[in-house]
Amino acid sequence: MYRLRVLDDAIRRQRTVREAEMMHSARGAGVRSPHLYFVDPRGAAIVMEYIEGERMKDAVDGGSPKKVAGMFRRLGLAAARLHSAGIMHGDLTTANVILGGREITLLDFGLSSHTTRVEDHAVDLRLIKETIVGAHPGFSALALDALHEGYSSEAGPGRSKAVFTQLKGIERRGRYARVV
Amino acid sequence: MDYILGVESTAHTFSVSVMSSSGKILSDSRNVFKAPEGSGIHPFEASQSHIRAAARVLKEAVEESGVPLDSMAAVSYSMGPGLGPCLRVGAVVARTLASSLELPLVPVNHAVGHIELGCLLTKAKDPIVLLVSGGHTMVISFSGGRWRVLGESLDLTLGQLLDQFGRHAGLASPCGRAIEEAARLSDRYLRLPYSVKGNDVSFSGLLTASKSLLDEGASFGDVAFSIQETAFAMVAEVTERALAFTGKKEVLVVGGVAANRRLDGMMDSMAKRHSARVGVAPIGYSGDCGAQIAWTGWLAHRSGIRVPVEGGAVRQSWRLDSVDIPWRD
Repeated sequence: MYRLRVLDDAIRRQRTVREAEMMHSARGAGVRSPHLYFVDPRGAAIVMEYIEGERMKDAVDGGSPKKVAGMFRRLGLAAARLHSAGIMHGDLTTANVILGGREITLLDFGLSSHTTRVEDHAVDLRLIKETIVGAHPGFSALALDALHEGYSSEAGPGRSKAVFTQLKGIERRGRYARVV
Repeated sequence: MDYILGVESTAHTFSVSVMSSSGKILSDSRNVFKAPEGSGIHPFEASQSHIRAAARVLKEAVEESGVPLDSMAAVSYSMGPGLGPCLRVGAVVARTLASSLELPLVPVNHAVGHIELGCLLTKAKDPIVLLVSGGHTMVISFSGGRWRVLGESLDLTLGQLLDQFGRHAGLASPCGRAIEEAARLSDRYLRLPYSVKGNDVSFSGLLTASKSLLDEGASFGDVAFSIQETAFAMVAEVTERALAFTGKKEVLVVGGVAANRRLDGMMDSMAKRHSARVGVAPIGYSGDCGAQIAWTGWLAHRSGIRVPVEGGAVRQSWRLDSVDIPWRD
Protein backbone atom coordinates (compact mmCIF):
# COMPACT_ATOMS: atom_id res chain seq x y z
CA MET A 1 0.00 0.00 0.00
CA TYR A 2 1.44 3.35 -0.95
CA ARG A 3 -0.63 5.33 1.51
CA LEU A 4 0.15 5.47 5.19
CA ARG A 5 -1.89 2.77 6.93
CA VAL A 6 -3.88 5.07 9.18
CA LEU A 7 -4.71 7.42 6.30
CA ASP A 8 -5.57 4.56 3.97
CA ASP A 9 -7.90 2.87 6.46
CA ALA A 10 -9.80 6.07 7.08
CA ILE A 11 -10.19 6.84 3.38
CA ARG A 12 -11.27 3.34 2.42
CA ARG A 13 -13.76 2.99 5.22
CA GLN A 14 -15.31 6.37 4.44
CA ARG A 15 -15.51 5.64 0.72
CA THR A 16 -17.03 2.19 1.20
CA VAL A 17 -19.84 3.54 3.33
CA ARG A 18 -20.30 6.44 0.94
CA GLU A 19 -20.39 4.20 -2.10
CA ALA A 20 -23.00 1.87 -0.67
CA GLU A 21 -25.21 4.71 0.41
CA MET A 22 -24.93 6.64 -2.82
CA MET A 23 -25.52 3.65 -5.10
CA HIS A 24 -28.79 3.31 -3.32
CA SER A 25 -29.64 7.02 -3.64
CA ALA A 26 -28.77 6.98 -7.33
CA ARG A 27 -31.42 4.38 -8.04
CA GLY A 28 -33.89 6.54 -6.18
CA ALA A 29 -32.99 9.32 -8.60
CA GLY A 30 -33.75 7.11 -11.59
CA VAL A 31 -30.17 6.23 -12.47
CA ARG A 32 -29.33 2.57 -12.75
CA SER A 33 -26.55 1.29 -10.47
CA PRO A 34 -25.79 -2.23 -9.23
CA HIS A 35 -27.93 -3.69 -6.45
CA LEU A 36 -26.17 -4.01 -3.12
CA TYR A 37 -25.90 -7.44 -1.56
CA PHE A 38 -23.46 -6.94 1.29
CA VAL A 39 -21.31 -4.13 2.73
CA ASP A 40 -18.27 -4.55 4.98
CA PRO A 41 -16.91 -1.10 5.94
CA ARG A 42 -14.05 -2.52 8.04
CA GLY A 43 -12.81 -4.69 5.24
CA ALA A 44 -13.65 -1.94 2.72
CA ALA A 45 -15.65 -4.42 0.64
CA ILE A 46 -18.98 -4.32 -1.16
CA VAL A 47 -20.67 -7.30 -2.76
CA MET A 48 -22.94 -6.13 -5.55
CA GLU A 49 -24.90 -7.20 -8.58
CA TYR A 50 -22.91 -8.24 -11.64
CA ILE A 51 -23.79 -5.99 -14.56
CA GLU A 52 -23.71 -7.56 -18.00
CA GLY A 53 -22.42 -5.25 -20.73
CA GLU A 54 -19.50 -3.29 -22.08
CA ARG A 55 -17.47 -0.53 -20.45
CA MET A 56 -18.31 2.73 -22.16
CA LYS A 57 -14.60 3.53 -22.41
CA ASP A 58 -14.06 0.51 -24.66
CA ALA A 59 -17.26 1.02 -26.59
CA VAL A 60 -16.32 4.61 -27.44
CA ASP A 61 -12.97 3.57 -28.87
CA GLY A 62 -14.50 1.35 -31.51
CA GLY A 63 -17.85 3.10 -31.90
CA SER A 64 -19.39 4.93 -34.84
CA PRO A 65 -19.98 8.68 -34.42
CA LYS A 66 -23.71 8.11 -34.16
CA LYS A 67 -23.36 5.47 -31.44
CA VAL A 68 -20.82 7.53 -29.51
CA ALA A 69 -23.11 10.56 -29.58
CA GLY A 70 -25.92 8.37 -28.23
CA MET A 71 -23.74 7.15 -25.37
CA PHE A 72 -22.72 10.62 -24.28
CA ARG A 73 -26.30 11.86 -24.59
CA ARG A 74 -27.39 9.14 -22.18
CA LEU A 75 -24.46 9.85 -19.87
CA GLY A 76 -25.40 13.55 -19.84
CA LEU A 77 -28.96 12.64 -19.02
CA ALA A 78 -27.91 10.32 -16.18
CA ALA A 79 -25.61 13.01 -14.74
CA ALA A 80 -28.46 15.54 -14.82
CA ARG A 81 -30.77 13.08 -13.04
CA LEU A 82 -28.24 12.59 -10.27
CA HIS A 83 -27.72 16.32 -9.97
CA SER A 84 -31.44 17.03 -9.87
CA ALA A 85 -31.62 14.67 -6.90
CA GLY A 86 -28.76 16.52 -5.21
CA ILE A 87 -26.12 13.88 -5.91
CA MET A 88 -22.64 14.49 -7.26
CA HIS A 89 -21.07 11.31 -8.63
CA GLY A 90 -17.48 12.48 -8.23
CA ASP A 91 -15.90 10.00 -10.63
CA LEU A 92 -17.75 10.14 -13.92
CA THR A 93 -15.17 8.73 -16.30
CA THR A 94 -16.17 6.50 -19.19
CA ALA A 95 -14.51 3.62 -17.30
CA ASN A 96 -17.25 3.80 -14.69
CA VAL A 97 -20.16 3.42 -17.07
CA ILE A 98 -21.48 0.05 -18.29
CA LEU A 99 -23.54 -0.14 -21.45
CA GLY A 100 -26.02 -2.99 -21.68
CA GLY A 101 -28.58 -2.80 -24.45
CA ARG A 102 -30.21 0.60 -24.27
CA GLU A 103 -29.50 1.02 -20.59
CA ILE A 104 -26.52 2.59 -18.92
CA THR A 105 -25.36 1.71 -15.44
CA LEU A 106 -23.15 3.93 -13.31
CA LEU A 107 -20.54 2.45 -10.99
CA ASP A 108 -17.97 3.60 -8.45
CA PHE A 109 -19.79 6.02 -6.21
CA GLY A 110 -16.90 6.12 -3.71
CA LEU A 111 -16.27 9.82 -4.31
CA SER A 112 -19.94 10.81 -4.38
CA SER A 113 -21.61 13.31 -2.14
CA HIS A 114 -24.93 14.99 -1.46
CA THR A 115 -24.69 18.46 -2.88
CA THR A 116 -26.82 20.88 -4.83
CA ARG A 117 -24.02 23.42 -5.49
CA VAL A 118 -23.60 24.44 -9.11
CA GLU A 119 -19.82 24.24 -8.62
CA ASP A 120 -19.94 20.59 -7.54
CA HIS A 121 -22.17 19.61 -10.42
CA ALA A 122 -19.82 21.41 -12.79
CA VAL A 123 -16.88 19.45 -11.31
CA ASP A 124 -18.71 16.26 -12.32
CA LEU A 125 -19.06 17.45 -15.91
CA ARG A 126 -15.47 18.66 -15.93
CA LEU A 127 -14.25 15.12 -15.27
CA ILE A 128 -16.32 13.78 -18.17
CA LYS A 129 -14.85 16.51 -20.31
CA GLU A 130 -11.29 15.71 -19.16
CA THR A 131 -11.96 12.09 -20.04
CA ILE A 132 -13.31 12.99 -23.47
CA VAL A 133 -10.46 15.32 -24.36
CA GLY A 134 -7.78 13.19 -22.70
CA ALA A 135 -8.83 9.69 -23.73
CA HIS A 136 -11.15 10.10 -26.70
CA PRO A 137 -9.77 13.21 -28.47
CA GLY A 138 -11.02 12.06 -31.87
CA PHE A 139 -14.62 12.42 -30.68
CA SER A 140 -14.16 15.64 -28.67
CA ALA A 141 -16.59 18.00 -30.41
CA LEU A 142 -19.26 15.42 -31.03
CA ALA A 143 -19.13 13.92 -27.55
CA LEU A 144 -19.22 17.29 -25.81
CA ASP A 145 -22.23 18.40 -27.86
CA ALA A 146 -24.06 15.17 -27.09
CA LEU A 147 -23.23 15.43 -23.40
CA HIS A 148 -24.58 18.96 -23.33
CA GLU A 149 -27.72 17.94 -25.18
CA GLY A 150 -28.44 15.02 -22.86
CA TYR A 151 -27.77 17.07 -19.77
CA SER A 152 -29.99 19.96 -20.87
CA SER A 153 -32.86 17.67 -21.81
CA GLU A 154 -33.13 16.58 -18.20
CA ALA A 155 -31.85 19.56 -16.22
CA GLY A 156 -33.69 22.19 -18.23
CA PRO A 157 -32.06 25.11 -20.08
CA GLY A 158 -31.64 27.40 -17.06
CA ARG A 159 -29.85 24.98 -14.75
CA SER A 160 -27.87 23.51 -17.63
CA LYS A 161 -26.61 26.93 -18.64
CA ALA A 162 -25.59 27.70 -15.06
CA VAL A 163 -23.64 24.45 -14.70
CA PHE A 164 -21.87 24.69 -18.07
CA THR A 165 -20.96 28.34 -17.43
CA GLN A 166 -19.49 27.31 -14.09
CA LEU A 167 -17.54 24.58 -15.90
CA LYS A 168 -15.89 27.25 -18.06
CA GLY A 169 -15.05 29.16 -14.91
CA ILE A 170 -13.35 26.09 -13.39
CA GLU A 171 -11.31 25.62 -16.55
CA ARG A 172 -10.17 29.22 -16.43
CA ARG A 173 -8.86 28.54 -12.94
CA GLY A 174 -6.60 25.81 -14.38
CA ARG A 175 -2.89 26.55 -14.51
CA TYR A 176 -1.83 28.58 -17.51
CA ALA A 177 -5.28 28.70 -19.02
CA ARG A 178 -5.26 31.74 -21.27
CA VAL A 179 -5.95 34.54 -18.83
CA VAL A 180 -2.79 36.68 -18.90
CA MET B 1 26.12 14.74 -35.38
CA ASP B 2 24.13 17.94 -34.81
CA TYR B 3 24.23 20.18 -31.75
CA ILE B 4 21.61 22.43 -30.25
CA LEU B 5 21.62 25.10 -27.57
CA GLY B 6 18.74 25.52 -25.13
CA VAL B 7 17.96 28.46 -22.84
CA GLU B 8 15.71 28.05 -19.80
CA SER B 9 14.52 31.00 -17.69
CA THR B 10 10.95 30.23 -16.63
CA ALA B 11 11.23 30.98 -12.91
CA HIS B 12 14.10 30.81 -10.42
CA THR B 13 16.54 29.05 -12.74
CA PHE B 14 18.44 30.57 -15.63
CA SER B 15 20.19 27.76 -17.46
CA VAL B 16 21.90 27.10 -20.76
CA SER B 17 22.59 23.64 -22.08
CA VAL B 18 24.19 22.19 -25.19
CA MET B 19 23.03 18.77 -26.34
CA SER B 20 23.83 16.51 -29.25
CA SER B 21 21.22 15.10 -31.59
CA SER B 22 21.93 11.67 -30.08
CA GLY B 23 20.60 12.89 -26.74
CA LYS B 24 23.84 13.47 -24.90
CA ILE B 25 23.93 16.40 -22.47
CA LEU B 26 27.25 18.09 -23.24
CA SER B 27 26.75 20.89 -20.75
CA ASP B 28 24.09 22.36 -18.47
CA SER B 29 25.09 25.53 -16.58
CA ARG B 30 22.79 27.31 -14.19
CA ASN B 31 22.12 30.32 -12.04
CA VAL B 32 19.48 29.68 -9.40
CA PHE B 33 17.86 32.72 -7.78
CA LYS B 34 17.57 32.21 -4.05
CA ALA B 35 14.80 34.11 -2.30
CA PRO B 36 15.36 35.62 1.15
CA GLU B 37 14.20 33.49 4.10
CA GLY B 38 10.45 33.42 4.62
CA SER B 39 9.65 34.80 1.16
CA GLY B 40 9.01 33.45 -2.32
CA ILE B 41 10.36 34.26 -5.77
CA HIS B 42 9.88 37.91 -6.63
CA PRO B 43 9.63 37.81 -10.45
CA PHE B 44 11.45 41.09 -11.00
CA GLU B 45 14.27 40.29 -8.59
CA ALA B 46 14.69 36.83 -10.10
CA SER B 47 14.89 38.38 -13.57
CA GLN B 48 17.59 40.82 -12.39
CA SER B 49 19.57 37.90 -11.04
CA HIS B 50 19.19 36.14 -14.41
CA ILE B 51 20.34 39.22 -16.31
CA ARG B 52 23.47 39.48 -14.19
CA ALA B 53 24.25 35.78 -14.64
CA ALA B 54 23.25 35.31 -18.29
CA ALA B 55 26.58 36.00 -19.98
CA ARG B 56 28.53 33.88 -17.51
CA VAL B 57 26.13 30.93 -17.71
CA LEU B 58 26.08 31.04 -21.51
CA LYS B 59 29.87 31.18 -21.72
CA GLU B 60 30.25 28.28 -19.27
CA ALA B 61 27.76 26.11 -21.14
CA VAL B 62 29.36 26.68 -24.53
CA GLU B 63 32.93 26.20 -23.28
CA GLU B 64 32.12 23.06 -21.35
CA SER B 65 30.34 21.52 -24.32
CA GLY B 66 33.33 22.07 -26.59
CA VAL B 67 30.95 22.99 -29.40
CA PRO B 68 31.63 26.41 -30.95
CA LEU B 69 28.56 28.64 -31.08
CA ASP B 70 28.58 28.82 -34.86
CA SER B 71 28.37 25.03 -35.09
CA MET B 72 24.93 24.85 -33.48
CA ALA B 73 22.04 23.64 -35.62
CA ALA B 74 19.56 25.88 -33.81
CA VAL B 75 18.88 27.94 -30.70
CA SER B 76 15.90 26.92 -28.57
CA TYR B 77 14.36 28.73 -25.63
CA SER B 78 11.60 28.36 -23.11
CA MET B 79 8.76 30.46 -24.51
CA GLY B 80 6.47 29.76 -21.53
CA PRO B 81 4.58 29.23 -19.36
CA GLY B 82 6.19 31.06 -16.47
CA LEU B 83 7.02 34.40 -14.93
CA GLY B 84 7.04 37.16 -17.56
CA PRO B 85 10.13 39.09 -16.43
CA CYS B 86 12.14 35.86 -16.12
CA LEU B 87 10.99 34.41 -19.45
CA ARG B 88 11.96 37.63 -21.23
CA VAL B 89 15.60 37.30 -20.14
CA GLY B 90 15.89 33.90 -21.80
CA ALA B 91 14.05 35.11 -24.89
CA VAL B 92 16.41 38.06 -25.29
CA VAL B 93 19.47 35.82 -25.00
CA ALA B 94 18.03 33.30 -27.49
CA ARG B 95 16.93 35.94 -30.01
CA THR B 96 20.31 37.63 -29.85
CA LEU B 97 22.12 34.37 -30.52
CA ALA B 98 19.76 33.29 -33.30
CA SER B 99 19.95 36.64 -35.00
CA SER B 100 23.71 37.16 -34.78
CA LEU B 101 24.57 33.57 -35.70
CA GLU B 102 21.77 33.36 -38.28
CA LEU B 103 20.38 30.19 -36.75
CA PRO B 104 16.79 28.94 -36.53
CA LEU B 105 15.00 30.05 -33.34
CA VAL B 106 12.95 27.24 -31.78
CA PRO B 107 10.28 27.95 -29.13
CA VAL B 108 9.74 25.27 -26.46
CA ASN B 109 6.92 24.80 -23.99
CA HIS B 110 8.57 24.40 -20.58
CA ALA B 111 6.21 21.64 -19.41
CA VAL B 112 6.71 19.63 -22.60
CA GLY B 113 10.42 20.11 -21.93
CA HIS B 114 10.19 18.42 -18.53
CA ILE B 115 8.35 15.48 -20.07
CA GLU B 116 10.55 14.95 -23.13
CA LEU B 117 13.80 15.17 -21.18
CA GLY B 118 12.32 12.78 -18.59
CA CYS B 119 11.45 10.33 -21.37
CA LEU B 120 14.95 10.58 -22.81
CA LEU B 121 16.72 10.03 -19.49
CA THR B 122 14.50 7.22 -18.20
CA LYS B 123 13.90 5.61 -21.61
CA ALA B 124 10.14 5.88 -21.07
CA LYS B 125 8.23 5.40 -24.32
CA ASP B 126 4.56 6.12 -23.64
CA PRO B 127 4.18 6.93 -19.96
CA ILE B 128 1.55 8.41 -17.70
CA VAL B 129 3.40 11.51 -16.58
CA LEU B 130 3.14 13.08 -13.15
CA LEU B 131 4.50 16.61 -13.52
CA VAL B 132 4.97 18.12 -10.08
CA SER B 133 6.75 21.43 -9.58
CA GLY B 134 6.19 24.99 -8.45
CA GLY B 135 4.38 25.73 -11.70
CA HIS B 136 2.55 22.49 -12.41
CA THR B 137 0.70 19.60 -10.81
CA MET B 138 -0.71 17.53 -13.64
CA VAL B 139 -1.29 13.95 -14.66
CA ILE B 140 -0.60 13.72 -18.37
CA SER B 141 -0.87 11.16 -21.12
CA PHE B 142 -0.06 11.31 -24.82
CA SER B 143 -2.89 10.78 -27.25
CA GLY B 144 -4.04 12.21 -30.55
CA GLY B 145 -0.94 14.31 -31.25
CA ARG B 146 -0.76 16.11 -27.93
CA TRP B 147 0.13 15.63 -24.31
CA ARG B 148 -3.32 15.57 -22.67
CA VAL B 149 -4.11 16.56 -19.12
CA LEU B 150 -6.07 13.78 -17.41
CA GLY B 151 -6.08 15.44 -14.02
CA GLU B 152 -4.56 18.42 -12.26
CA SER B 153 -4.63 20.56 -9.17
CA LEU B 154 -7.64 22.81 -8.93
CA ASP B 155 -5.74 25.38 -6.90
CA LEU B 156 -2.14 25.30 -5.64
CA THR B 157 0.58 23.25 -7.25
CA LEU B 158 2.41 20.67 -5.14
CA GLY B 159 5.52 22.87 -5.20
CA GLN B 160 3.54 25.87 -4.01
CA LEU B 161 1.94 23.83 -1.25
CA LEU B 162 5.33 22.76 0.10
CA ASP B 163 6.88 26.20 -0.39
CA GLN B 164 4.07 28.12 1.23
CA PHE B 165 4.01 25.73 4.14
CA GLY B 166 7.80 25.97 4.48
CA ARG B 167 7.77 29.74 4.31
CA HIS B 168 5.14 29.85 7.01
CA ALA B 169 7.69 27.99 9.14
CA GLY B 170 10.34 30.60 8.23
CA LEU B 171 12.23 28.71 5.53
CA ALA B 172 13.37 30.19 2.21
CA SER B 173 11.99 28.95 -1.11
CA PRO B 174 12.46 26.37 -2.46
CA CYS B 175 11.63 24.52 0.78
CA GLY B 176 11.09 20.99 -0.55
CA ARG B 177 14.37 19.54 0.61
CA ALA B 178 14.15 20.94 4.16
CA ILE B 179 10.62 19.58 4.48
CA GLU B 180 11.68 16.17 3.18
CA GLU B 181 14.54 16.00 5.67
CA ALA B 182 12.38 17.04 8.62
CA ALA B 183 9.67 14.58 7.57
CA ARG B 184 12.13 11.69 7.51
CA LEU B 185 12.66 12.08 11.26
CA SER B 186 8.96 11.76 12.11
CA ASP B 187 6.39 9.01 11.85
CA ARG B 188 3.61 10.74 13.69
CA TYR B 189 0.66 11.30 11.38
CA LEU B 190 -1.56 14.25 12.22
CA ARG B 191 -4.92 14.12 10.52
CA LEU B 192 -5.12 16.51 7.55
CA PRO B 193 -7.74 17.02 4.84
CA TYR B 194 -7.38 14.68 1.87
CA SER B 195 -9.07 16.13 -1.20
CA VAL B 196 -9.37 14.12 -4.41
CA LYS B 197 -12.13 15.17 -6.79
CA GLY B 198 -12.36 12.69 -9.63
CA ASN B 199 -8.97 12.95 -11.33
CA ASP B 200 -8.22 16.31 -9.77
CA VAL B 201 -6.72 17.30 -6.44
CA SER B 202 -7.08 20.37 -4.27
CA PHE B 203 -4.38 21.49 -1.85
CA SER B 204 -5.70 24.75 -0.42
CA GLY B 205 -7.50 23.16 2.54
CA LEU B 206 -4.46 21.03 3.26
CA LEU B 207 -2.22 24.12 3.33
CA THR B 208 -4.51 26.03 5.68
CA ALA B 209 -4.82 23.06 8.04
CA SER B 210 -1.06 22.45 8.05
CA LYS B 211 -0.31 26.08 8.83
CA SER B 212 -2.85 25.99 11.66
CA LEU B 213 -1.20 22.92 13.15
CA LEU B 214 2.11 24.77 13.21
CA ASP B 215 0.48 27.81 14.78
CA GLU B 216 -1.07 25.57 17.44
CA GLY B 217 2.38 24.38 18.39
CA ALA B 218 2.70 21.04 16.56
CA SER B 219 6.31 20.18 15.75
CA PHE B 220 7.56 21.15 12.29
CA GLY B 221 8.74 17.59 11.63
CA ASP B 222 5.38 16.01 12.44
CA VAL B 223 3.48 18.44 10.24
CA ALA B 224 6.09 18.11 7.48
CA PHE B 225 5.65 14.33 7.63
CA SER B 226 1.86 14.60 7.61
CA ILE B 227 1.62 17.12 4.78
CA GLN B 228 3.91 14.97 2.63
CA GLU B 229 2.03 11.77 3.35
CA THR B 230 -1.30 13.41 2.57
CA ALA B 231 -0.33 15.39 -0.52
CA PHE B 232 1.80 12.65 -2.08
CA ALA B 233 -0.93 10.05 -1.52
CA MET B 234 -3.35 12.35 -3.31
CA VAL B 235 -1.17 12.70 -6.40
CA ALA B 236 -0.34 8.98 -6.29
CA GLU B 237 -4.05 8.20 -6.25
CA VAL B 238 -4.87 10.34 -9.28
CA THR B 239 -1.86 8.92 -11.12
CA GLU B 240 -3.09 5.43 -10.29
CA ARG B 241 -6.50 6.31 -11.67
CA ALA B 242 -4.91 7.47 -14.92
CA LEU B 243 -2.85 4.26 -15.12
CA ALA B 244 -5.90 2.10 -14.58
CA PHE B 245 -7.95 4.15 -17.02
CA THR B 246 -5.47 4.15 -19.88
CA GLY B 247 -3.93 0.74 -19.23
CA LYS B 248 -0.47 2.19 -19.83
CA LYS B 249 2.49 0.43 -18.23
CA GLU B 250 4.95 3.23 -17.54
CA VAL B 251 4.92 6.12 -15.09
CA LEU B 252 7.25 9.09 -15.41
CA VAL B 253 7.72 11.51 -12.52
CA VAL B 254 9.19 14.89 -13.49
CA GLY B 255 9.38 18.44 -12.16
CA GLY B 256 11.14 19.84 -9.11
CA VAL B 257 9.17 17.77 -6.58
CA ALA B 258 10.24 14.56 -8.36
CA ALA B 259 13.49 14.97 -6.41
CA ASN B 260 11.58 13.97 -3.25
CA ARG B 261 12.44 10.36 -2.35
CA ARG B 262 9.25 9.74 -0.40
CA LEU B 263 7.14 10.75 -3.39
CA ASP B 264 9.15 8.45 -5.63
CA GLY B 265 8.83 5.59 -3.15
CA MET B 266 5.09 6.03 -3.00
CA MET B 267 4.83 6.12 -6.79
CA ASP B 268 6.88 2.92 -6.93
CA SER B 269 4.62 0.96 -4.64
CA MET B 270 1.54 2.32 -6.40
CA ALA B 271 2.86 1.34 -9.83
CA LYS B 272 3.82 -2.17 -8.70
CA ARG B 273 0.18 -3.00 -8.20
CA HIS B 274 -0.37 -2.29 -11.88
CA SER B 275 2.84 -4.00 -13.02
CA ALA B 276 3.92 -0.62 -14.30
CA ARG B 277 7.48 0.66 -14.41
CA VAL B 278 8.32 3.98 -12.74
CA GLY B 279 10.94 6.30 -14.16
CA VAL B 280 12.08 9.32 -12.20
CA ALA B 281 14.19 11.97 -13.83
CA PRO B 282 17.67 11.96 -12.21
CA ILE B 283 17.88 14.53 -9.42
CA GLY B 284 19.94 17.10 -11.36
CA TYR B 285 17.47 17.00 -14.24
CA SER B 286 14.08 16.66 -12.57
CA GLY B 287 13.82 20.39 -11.88
CA ASP B 288 14.22 23.30 -14.28
CA CYS B 289 17.26 23.07 -16.54
CA GLY B 290 18.53 24.09 -19.96
CA ALA B 291 18.68 20.45 -21.07
CA GLN B 292 14.90 20.11 -21.04
CA ILE B 293 14.75 22.99 -23.51
CA ALA B 294 17.71 21.89 -25.62
CA TRP B 295 16.39 18.33 -26.06
CA THR B 296 12.81 19.33 -26.78
CA GLY B 297 14.19 22.09 -29.00
CA TRP B 298 16.02 19.44 -30.98
CA LEU B 299 12.87 17.32 -31.38
CA ALA B 300 10.91 20.40 -32.46
CA HIS B 301 13.67 21.61 -34.79
CA ARG B 302 13.75 18.21 -36.47
CA SER B 303 10.01 18.56 -37.05
CA GLY B 304 10.51 21.96 -38.66
CA ILE B 305 9.20 24.10 -35.79
CA ARG B 306 10.70 27.59 -35.61
CA VAL B 307 9.72 31.22 -35.19
CA PRO B 308 11.20 34.27 -36.88
CA VAL B 309 13.36 36.31 -34.50
CA GLU B 310 10.78 39.10 -34.37
CA GLY B 311 8.17 36.47 -33.41
CA GLY B 312 10.24 35.12 -30.52
CA ALA B 313 8.07 36.53 -27.76
CA VAL B 314 7.12 34.86 -24.47
CA ARG B 315 3.82 33.31 -23.37
CA GLN B 316 3.21 33.46 -19.65
CA SER B 317 0.08 31.37 -20.06
CA TRP B 318 0.64 28.46 -22.39
CA ARG B 319 -0.97 25.19 -21.39
CA LEU B 320 0.84 22.12 -22.53
CA ASP B 321 -2.34 20.52 -23.87
CA SER B 322 -2.52 23.27 -26.50
CA VAL B 323 0.87 22.33 -28.00
CA ASP B 324 0.97 20.09 -31.09
CA ILE B 325 3.65 17.40 -30.80
CA PRO B 326 4.50 16.31 -34.35
CA TRP B 327 7.48 14.18 -33.31
CA ARG B 328 5.38 11.57 -31.48
CA ASP B 329 2.72 9.25 -32.80
